[in-house]
Amino acid sequence: MTDMASIEGIIKILFVVVIIAAAYIISTRNILSLVSVYSLQSLTLAAIALALWIADGKIVLLEIAIVTIASKVLIIPYFIATIQERIRIKRDIEFHYLNPTTSLLVSMVMMLVIYFALSRILPTAPGTPSLLFFGAVIGISLMLMGMMVTFSRKRAITKVMGYLSMENGVLFFGMFVTELPLIIEFLIIIDLIILVLLTTILAVGIDSTLEEYHNRLHRFHLWEDKEDAS
Amino acid sequence: MIPELFITAILVLLGGALLSFALSSRDERTVRTVALGSAIIASVFLAALSLFTLLTGQNFVFTVYQPFPYLAISFFIDRLAAFFLLLIAIIGGCVAVYTVEYFEHLGGGARRNHLCAFGNLFILAMVLVVSSATTISFLLFWELMAASSFFLVMYEYTREETRKAGVFYFIMTQLSTLFVMLGIFALYVQTGSFAIAPLTAAGSPLITAAFLALFVGFAIKAGIIPFHKWLPYAHPASPSPISALLSGVMLKIAVYGLIRFLLDVFQPDIWWGVLILAAGTTSAVLGIIYALKEHDVKAMLAYSSIENVGIVFVGIGLSIILSAANLPLLATISLLGALFHALNHALFKALLFLTSGSVVHATHTRDIEHMGGLAHRMPWTSGLFFVGAVSISALPPFNGFASELMIFSAFFSSVAVVDPLLKVLLFISLALFALTSALSMACFVKAFGSIFLALPRSSESEKAHEVSEMMLIGPGILAAACILLGLFSYKIFFLVGYPAVIPDMLLIGILLLVMAALTYAFLYFFASREVRVSETWGCGIHSQQPATEYTGHGFSEPIDIIFSAIYRTRTKNERTFFDRANCIFAEGTGEIRLMKVFEEYLYLPLARFAVWAAESISRFQNGCLDTYLLYVFVAVVAVIIFLGWYA
Repeated sequence: MTDMASIEGIIKILFVVVIIAAAYIISTRNILSLVSVYSLQSLTLAAIALALWIADGKIVLLEIAIVTIASKVLIIPYFIATIQERIRIKRDIEFHYLNPTTSLLVSMVMMLVIYFALSRILPTAPGTPSLLFFGAVIGISLMLMGMMVTFSRKRAITKVMGYLSMENGVLFFGMFVTELPLIIEFLIIIDLIILVLLTTILAVGIDSTLEEYHNRLHRFHLWEDKEDAS
Repeated sequence: MIPELFITAILVLLGGALLSFALSSRDERTVRTVALGSAIIASVFLAALSLFTLLTGQNFVFTVYQPFPYLAISFFIDRLAAFFLLLIAIIGGCVAVYTVEYFEHLGGGARRNHLCAFGNLFILAMVLVVSSATTISFLLFWELMAASSFFLVMYEYTREETRKAGVFYFIMTQLSTLFVMLGIFALYVQTGSFAIAPLTAAGSPLITAAFLALFVGFAIKAGIIPFHKWLPYAHPASPSPISALLSGVMLKIAVYGLIRFLLDVFQPDIWWGVLILAAGTTSAVLGIIYALKEHDVKAMLAYSSIENVGIVFVGIGLSIILSAANLPLLATISLLGALFHALNHALFKALLFLTSGSVVHATHTRDIEHMGGLAHRMPWTSGLFFVGAVSISALPPFNGFASELMIFSAFFSSVAVVDPLLKVLLFISLALFALTSALSMACFVKAFGSIFLALPRSSESEKAHEVSEMMLIGPGILAAACILLGLFSYKIFFLVGYPAVIPDMLLIGILLLVMAALTYAFLYFFASREVRVSETWGCGIHSQQPATEYTGHGFSEPIDIIFSAIYRTRTKNERTFFDRANCIFAEGTGEIRLMKVFEEYLYLPLARFAVWAAESISRFQNGCLDTYLLYVFVAVVAVIIFLGWYA
C-alpha cells in the first residue's frame, strides 16, 4: 500500500488548486482563458479521483477519472474553443448584481458559512476535520460559486462556463460524501455535452443563414459584431 | 334511532339534489316539486329529531365513514346543534313549501332545476356544518355551504348587478373561509387534534390568534359591520326564497360557529366579550340606521338582518362578560336570549323575505316608493308581512319582543358588574341597543306603510293580485310560529329546563287582547256614530293623487337629518346667475350623493392595497434568467443556513 498520509497531502494540495481555479472563473474578465482554467479544474478533479483510487482501490473512482478526462478535459473544452473562435468576444465586462470583487468576497463568506453549517451537520471526528469534511465543504462551495457565475454574468458563454463548474462541484461532493453512482455521473456528463453542443450549434451552425436568428443571438449575448470597448 | 333519522334526512336531501342535477335538462315542474318535496320531508325528519334531542337533552355521536384511522366523518348532535338543526329545518321546510309555487313564476327555464339542486345542497351543507363533530369536517362543510350559496346568488347572472353582487359575495365568503381555516389550523397547532374539545392550556397568544381569526371569519359570514357589505348586494340580487335562506339561516350558522367555539373550545377572556359586544352594538345601530335609508325592500331587509345579527352578538358578548364577572344566571339568560333571538330572527326575516318576494313578484319592482295600496289587493300577504314587521319591531307579545326582553333584562341586571369602566361600556351599549329597537320600529312602520297602505303609486301595483296558496302556506307557518313562540315563550323555556328566565308572555298577550277589546267596546258603545264623508285637504289639488301621498322618503326624512353625520350625505349645489347681485338665476346643477362610507374608506383601500401588493410581488417575476438564478442561489444558501443552525 502507498503511504496514506502523503496521498492525503497531495489531495489537500489539489483542493487548493481547485479553489484557485474556481476563484479565477468567478473573477476573470478574460473569456479566452476561462476554458483553459476550466479544463485545468477538471483535470485536477480527475487527479483527485485517481489519488482516491490509489488510496481506496475502488474501481468506480478510476472510471470517474477516465470519464472526466475524456469529457471535461477534452471534448467540452474543444467545443467551447470552437465557439470562441467564431464569436469575437474576448472579454466579459457586463455583470448583474455582483461584480468580480464582490463575488470573490461573497464566495469567501459563503465558504465560511458552509464550513460552520456543515460542522454542525456532518459527524466529524473531534480534533482534525477529515478529508471527507473538506471535500463536502469545497464541493458545495464550488457548486454555489458556479451558480454565482451563472447569474452574475451577462454573456451566455460565461453562463455556460459557470454551469460547467457547478457540475464540477457536484462531482466533487459526490466523490467525497455520497458516492455518486457512475451511471448518474455519466448522464450528467451527457447533459453537459448536449448543453455545450447546443450552444455551439446556436453560435456557429445556424446563424450564417438567417438574419433574424442573428438578432436573437444578440439578445442572448451569444454574439457580438464588434469587440467591446473596454 | 336518532342517527338513522339523521342519515335518512341527509340522504333524502342529497337524493333531491342529485335528482334535479340529473334531470337538469328537463324543464318540468315535477322534477322541481320532487326535489323541493324531498327538502320538505328532510326538514320534517330533522325537526323531529332535533325536538327530541332538545327535550330529552341526550347527546348523540356517530361515525358515518372512516377512510383513515385519524380522519373520520362523524357527527355530534347535542342540544346546541339540535337547536340550530331545528332552525334550519323550520326555515328550510317553509321556504321549500313557498318555493314550489314561486319557482314556477321565475324565469330561467331548466336552470330552475339547478336552483332546486343547489338549494338542497345548501340546506344539506348547513345541516352538516351544525352537526360536525370535528373542526376539519366543520371547515369542509363550511366551504360547501359557501360554494353552493354562491351559485344560488348568481342565479340571474345575466344582470350586471347580480354579477357584481356575486363576485362581491364570493370574495367575502372566501375570506370568511380563509379566516375560519386559519383559526382551525391555529387550534390544530395548539392541540394537535381536530376535535372540538375544550383547550387545556389557556392564555397563549396562539389561542388568542385562533379566536380572533375565527371571530373575523364568523363575523364576515354573519354580516357584522364592517364586514357586512356583501349582504345588501347579495340579497337584492338573488331570488327571494334564497335571500330568506341566506339571511334567515346562513347568518345563524355563523352564530352557531361562534357560540360552539366559545362554549366548547375556548375559555373566553373578558375582553373577548367586550369585543363581541362592541361589534354587535355597532352592527345593530348602524345596520338599522342604514336600513332606514334604503328604499329597495330587499336591501332594507338585508340591513335589518345586519342589525338583528348585531343584537345576537350583543347577547353573546354580554353573556361572556357576565360569566367572567361571576354572574352565571344573568350570563345564561343573556345567552339564551341571543339564541332565542337567532331563532326568532330566522323566523320573521324568512317570513318578511318570502312575503316581500310575493310583493316583488306582483309589482315587478323592489322600490317601495313604487308600491303602495297592496293591502286591498293582497290581503293575506299584507297580513303575513304585518306579523313579521310587528315581530321584528319587537312589539309584545310577539317573539321578537320576548328575545329582546331577555337581553334587555340581562343588561338591566348587569349593574352588579363591579368594574366601573365595564359598567360604563355596558350602559352605553344598553342605550344604543334601546335606540336600535326604536329605530327598527320606525323602519318597519315605514316599510309596511309604503308597501301596503294608501293608493298604488305605479300601474303595476294597481294591477297586483294575491299570490297562490302555496306561497301563503310557507310564510303562514312562519307567522304562526312567530306568534306562538312569543306567546308561549315562558312555557317553552320551562319545558327545556330553564324556568323563570322570561315573564309569562301569554299573560301579557291576554292582557293586551282584553285591553284592545275594552277599547273597542268603549268606542263602540260611547263614541259618536255620526258618519261624515269628506276628502282630506290636498293642498288645493282637486282629486287625491298618489303623488300627494306621504312617501317612505318623507317618513324617514327627519331621521335622515338626525343621523346625517352617519350617512355622510354630500349635497352639491352649483348655480350661476345673470347679474352680479346673484338674483336672476341662469342655470345650475344640484346633486345629493350618499357616500358608501365602508366601501370608500375600508373596502376600496384594502382592495387597492391588495392590488399594490400583488403588483410588487409580481415584480419578482421579471422574465430575466439571471434573476431567477439569483433566487435559486439565495434559496440554496438559506437552506444551508437553516440546516446548520435551526434544524
